[in-house]
Amino acid sequence: MSELIPIILDVSSYILILVLVALGLMIVFGMMGVINMAHGELFMIGAYVTVAAQGAGLPLMAGVLLAPVVVGFLGLLIEAALVRHIYLRPLDTILATWGLSIALKQLVVLTFGPESHSVTLPIDGSLEIGAFSYPLYRLLLMATSILLIGGTFWLFTRTDFGLMARAVIARPDTAASLGIDTRRMYRWSFVIGTALAGLAGALVAPIISVDPQMGLGYLVPGFLSILVGGAGPLAGVLVGGAVVGGVNNLLAIWISPVAALITVYIIAILIIRLKPEGIMGGRRAK
Amino acid sequence: MLEIENLSAGYGEALVLRDFSCRIDSGKVSALMGRNGMGKTTLMKTIMGLIRAKSGRIMVDGVAIEKLTTHQISRIGMGYVPQGREIFADFTVAENLRLSLLGHEGGNVLTLEQIYDWFPILKERAEQRAGTFSGGQQQILAIARALIGGPKMLLLDEPTEGIQPSIVHEIGVQLSHIARETGLSILIVEQNVDMVRTLADEVLFMENGVIKECCDIEALRQDDSLLHRYLSV
Repeated sequence: MSELIPIILDVSSYILILVLVALGLMIVFGMMGVINMAHGELFMIGAYVTVAAQGAGLPLMAGVLLAPVVVGFLGLLIEAALVRHIYLRPLDTILATWGLSIALKQLVVLTFGPESHSVTLPIDGSLEIGAFSYPLYRLLLMATSILLIGGTFWLFTRTDFGLMARAVIARPDTAASLGIDTRRMYRWSFVIGTALAGLAGALVAPIISVDPQMGLGYLVPGFLSILVGGAGPLAGVLVGGAVVGGVNNLLAIWISPVAALITVYIIAILIIRLKPEGIMGGRRAK
Repeated sequence: MLEIENLSAGYGEALVLRDFSCRIDSGKVSALMGRNGMGKTTLMKTIMGLIRAKSGRIMVDGVAIEKLTTHQISRIGMGYVPQGREIFADFTVAENLRLSLLGHEGGNVLTLEQIYDWFPILKERAEQRAGTFSGGQQQILAIARALIGGPKMLLLDEPTEGIQPSIVHEIGVQLSHIARETGLSILIVEQNVDMVRTLADEVLFMENGVIKECCDIEALRQDDSLLHRYLSV
């Protein structure tokens, strides 16, 4: 049993980070029909903010706090310069944001070099109960992720901003004719989605190697989570993230990472074939 | 006052309104009648900025609005109840009303008490999901939602479509009462002659994207030949 608990905790922390990434993706896709291929790079830039903060002699905490601000601001620029011209045109958004993702990746290579970086763990200790031992930072990471996921749900289901956002998703024209500035809602939802990606990247930076390719490793499972869970209700992301992240991680430990990926794709294909709207439903009819 | 001059608008290359002009005075209820496909809904959507005008002017109290966005048009005092009601089915009644209050924050909004006073059913069912409402109740909600933003003019697109006659009459009487009490201007697109007779002060007949004739409601009560000509009833 004591061997199983660390594995369950590892898998859970991966799932939680995946859900954070997928939540940002889903807000942007569900609301604006924008399939943001650069989401993985925004996640990666979040991690590099902590690398830069470490290089400047700042504590990791400062990097974690700076990352959503820096990446959110970058999101604001991307929205104003690129994304606002292609709202509700999913195919165009794929091409445009794919181009953006390449540019961002190269920008990071030019600035930080192609090699991988490591960020020092801010808390070194472990939680030890009898034979069971687990790094404290990972526990902190999980708690923070749960708070962030809960906070995002609260924002979109319990606040006035969330009410307006859901109205804009359901009927943009009607929301506008009630005086709601849909452009502004799109802009801030995009910024929230990108800031979440940046924050997720900063949080995982100390436990993975930070390199220019790291975004893809979360972008693809992130998209799969949405496909599997369903894009409509936010709860779909939780279920999708749990299925995709859980299977991927457990099989990677028990068999091999390749077998894990193959299994994840097969499960995704089966679910999409048998239940095209995702487990929790709500994907937009196209 | 709503003034439209030489307005052209449509979908893609196809123009539905060509050189459309009309004037709707403040404090009146004006009904726009005409057969299907004559451009009535297109006109409503163009006034609200949901369809862009190709040319021409739309003025509300002397302010040109044809270049404004829909939410700006809404905020300068144009309330809109679209065809098919378009209430938010997953939201509660109170949330549907709250949305309009949020959209008009800082503006001349009405209070919930005022709305509940006019439409008591909305108070009784404030926490009920709007999607569980009947067509008539949804229409009442859609009208209340537009009114709570405190509009100067209310645009109603076929409010009686698919609604049982008893509720149609109730809506007509209540809107007429509200218009008299508050001085609200109403432009209503309607095929239902009883509704028009209950509510309207004047009737505009539209054909092929232009206003062909205009008369006051008394004249229509005396002589309904215009109805035969423009609606084939």
